Amino acid sequence: MKPDPNDPAWAWAPFQPDAARPWDLRLAAHLYRRAAFGGTWPELQRALSEGPQATIDRLVHPTPGAADFNRLYDDYENAAATSAGYGSQAWWLRRMIESPQPLQEQVTLFWHNHFGISNIHVKDNASLCRHIHVLRQHGMGSVEALLDAVLAQPAVWICLGARDNGRRSLSESSVRILMEQYTLGPGHSSDSDVREGARALTGWIISQGELRFVPGEYDAAPKKILGQEGDFDRKALVRILTTHPATGHWLAQKLVRWFISDTAKPSDSLLAPLAKQLTGDGSTAKGVEMLLRSNLFFSAEAYRQKVRSPVELALGIIRPLEGRTGTVRLAADLARLGQELYEPPTIQGWAGGLAWINSLTTLGRAKLAEALLAESGAYEGKLDPAAVAKRHGRATNDGGRQFLVDLYLQGDLGAETIGALAAGPSATGSVDTRAADPRQIAARLASLPEFQLA
Amino acid sequence: MAQWIPADTPIMVEVSEPMALLGPLLSPEFGKSVTTELENGKANLKLQEFQGVVAAVELQLGTDWRAGLRRLAGKGLSFCVDPSGATLLAVDGEDEKLLSKLNGIIWQFASSGADQQNQPETVASPNYRGVKTWKIGTNEVHALLGPRLVVGNRTSFLNKVLDLRADAGGKTLASSALFKAAREAVGKEAVASVFLNLQTLRETPGLKKALEEDGNPVTALLLSDTKAALRSASWFALGLYVSGDKLILRTYTDGAAPEVSKWTSFSTLPGAGAELLPPLTVPGTIASLSLYRDLHSFYAAKDALFPERTSGLIFFENMMGIFFSGIDLTEGVLSEVRPDIRVVVAKQQYDPAVGTPATQVPAFAAVLRLKEPEHFGEIVEEAWQKAIGLANFTRGQQALPGLIIDKENQDGVKYTISYYRPPADKSSGAIDARYNFRPSLARPGDYVILSSTDALARDLINAVKQAPSTPAKTSPAVNSLMEIEGPALSAILQANREPMVRKNMVDKGDSREKAESDIQMLLVALGHLDHATLTLRRDAGRPQAQLEIRFK
Repeated sequence: MKPDPNDPAWAWAPFQPDAARPWDLRLAAHLYRRAAFGGTWPELQRALSEGPQATIDRLVHPTPGAADFNRLYDDYENAAATSAGYGSQAWWLRRMIESPQPLQEQVTLFWHNHFGISNIHVKDNASLCRHIHVLRQHGMGSVEALLDAVLAQPAVWICLGARDNGRRSLSESSVRILMEQYTLGPGHSSDSDVREGARALTGWIISQGELRFVPGEYDAAPKKILGQEGDFDRKALVRILTTHPATGHWLAQKLVRWFISDTAKPSDSLLAPLAKQLTGDGSTAKGVEMLLRSNLFFSAEAYRQKVRSPVELALGIIRPLEGRTGTVRLAADLARLGQELYEPPTIQGWAGGLAWINSLTTLGRAKLAEALLAESGAYEGKLDPAAVAKRHGRATNDGGRQFLVDLYLQGDLGAETIGALAAGPSATGSVDTRAADPRQIAARLASLPEFQLA
Repeated sequence: MAQWIPADTPIMVEVSEPMALLGPLLSPEFGKSVTTELENGKANLKLQEFQGVVAAVELQLGTDWRAGLRRLAGKGLSFCVDPSGATLLAVDGEDEKLLSKLNGIIWQFASSGADQQNQPETVASPNYRGVKTWKIGTNEVHALLGPRLVVGNRTSFLNKVLDLRADAGGKTLASSALFKAAREAVGKEAVASVFLNLQTLRETPGLKKALEEDGNPVTALLLSDTKAALRSASWFALGLYVSGDKLILRTYTDGAAPEVSKWTSFSTLPGAGAELLPPLTVPGTIASLSLYRDLHSFYAAKDALFPERTSGLIFFENMMGIFFSGIDLTEGVLSEVRPDIRVVVAKQQYDPAVGTPATQVPAFAAVLRLKEPEHFGEIVEEAWQKAIGLANFTRGQQALPGLIIDKENQDGVKYTISYYRPPADKSSGAIDARYNFRPSLARPGDYVILSSTDALARDLINAVKQAPSTPAKTSPAVNSLMEIEGPALSAILQANREPMVRKNMVDKGDSREKAESDIQMLLVALGHLDHATLTLRRDAGRPQAQLEIRFK
């Protein structure tokens, strides 16, 4: 079949390596960057020996122990969420680093961005923490079950400014967001659909921080929503919205932007097969699996076509080095780079793509890389590139430079740039006298433009 | 050692009698007890590692580690930092042969390690000024000078020391006027001392920032003239003394606050007969503080003390204006409060019907005395109820549960409490952190008790009734006195062990095992603290702090 990224048959066909697109370190690392925030050397080597489809099997399907791990981390996050500060966000970052199922965390982050529920409005860590747990618990399942669970969260209604959905206090603006942002996408619902949808949500009121149903405030009269008529309540509204073809299409478009490319503008016909996976009997897991297995995912249209978000940048430095760092400080540093977990800036989430990069954040990203990899300081030198190189038999007189290039940037760096790594000032301007120091080399690699792309 | 150290060295630590400090720690009984506690507390990660290294060294030296330490370091320890940050440690022992043997073991270990890593150039043993030095890697260099071992992190600093040792004419720390003044202040009876040259160190960004006027009234109220004095000081010293079963740490400085009265009038006891009231004690006391602070004269001088009005200060005054119905804060409110202020921190008992929060915050309370309780008591009560009302209103706006206000009676004293409704669902285990607080106000006699919990308020009603207002039997120069109870402090930390472990995990990125090990070490160390007393006083116009520690 002729490679054509706009041809759905080719684009969604499972990737089969060939001479033109061999299964090599570059593609294995690409898969791990998008699906797992970055791969360790053993993970990449195993992926190379097992091939793409078997590797995707492992990434997509829950591993033994994942449920126990998540229960433990739910407990950590819940306890930390009772206090102010970055405690529960720090635990989420740690979960992303350590999870045996990192794809689940990537998808949870996708939904956090999609719903855009922010503690700026909710002002309650515990409530946001419960919302994120719901996104994790249902994030890979059916979109209907996910939306149903999301709308049972007080944090969502507080953030949408709809604390009181009474008969005489219809919250049309929140239903507009529900239709245009969360499900159908823009242009598929009329003012009448929005108004009728708001009637379906009547009776749900926030009291003492909890969402309660007050039967007296429910409008039981028949409603007409998106061409369907009946006595629709919240559950029925969720079903109508999530089974509408536009929802699958809208979510497919967002998933393509998240997993394939920041700038992708896929045609309707290209999106149709993916949209089908997300609606009806489908699930997010099926959709994501289809994406990851596809020719499109391993094509030039996807390779290094996404700007790493601050979270992806930091985890892309940490995970490959098989280490952990203090994540309270990390959560604060990521907030300074524009991605404060629990606080998407708007209901549309983070703008993403090129919006992550400006003159301030470019310097900030380089400084974060230096701080994470420094021998001492805020992160206490917990990441040790030299030890990792030695563990994998790649410690050499060049400070493990080639190993770190292979680990962080694979074949995407020219010989000239690799040579230049050995000399010159560091990213923040200080003169480097330890050109062969693996920490310095790793920090420089993580500051390169190539590394900013996932 | 100071006679070999360059005069511009800004930090010097000397332990003249190491065995006075290490002696009790080296006893087999102490070692056994610590080992048992660490093992019981699962802190055996570091312990096993440490024990393995110690056993190997003991075998090679042919002596047990306690005896070895006495012979190698029993005569003194000195540690100093030069202006560039280079460090040097000098260890004085009595057994030159044993020191040489230890050096041989270390050298052999380092050389074989460097060979294994194919980096033989990282170990070297050059001569300087006729002294053989050993260099291991990039950050370690040492020399043996008879029974003295000198270890540094930079060759240049060690060489400077060897220069001064060879030429008697160089300027040394021992001849520095500042160092001599500090040594004289500390006295010969000190078993250890710390000298800081503030003329040099004050320019370092960290200390410069710490000594800056931050405009925080609470810091100024508590520390009085301490920061102002350190801003003008040339040197600062710490002396450590052993007295019976107590360790005493005392500070000295040559600095005094400029415009002394501005910084001291509110914390100076008014002469003859005026002495600090004793700290109050209740069941489960963790810390108890007694201060002499005249809030009226402190706040009356606020424009001089804090020329810059911060947003925090403006907010504070606005809120006080609301709570006290527009009564002037300085002349109408603070003038009604006597200068005897006491603060108590105590472990709290949780109501089983409500539950126990995951993080247990100790109860804390301030105990003030009013000049005219009949007239001003109800005004305080009204202000307090307004504050609770405002907190409830704000929480209500955020759809958060509010406090319920109630009145109770303790031994004839009616007091006001406020509390949250018990959680509807306790099945998920630990309850919310807000259940650490049941803000209460009591007015027994001329006292006002502002407490974070009703239980502590009740205990304090009993305490002020039972304790006559007799002085604390401290020197009249003492204006602050804090007592810390080791067992209670240890108990509250033990109760918070799990939250501390978790905090360590995300703060430092440690594994659970490592975090548990670190926290257990801290708990074991604190478990040996019996009692500590901290006093602040003014001696010849200069602030002085003293910490007395008694171990179990």
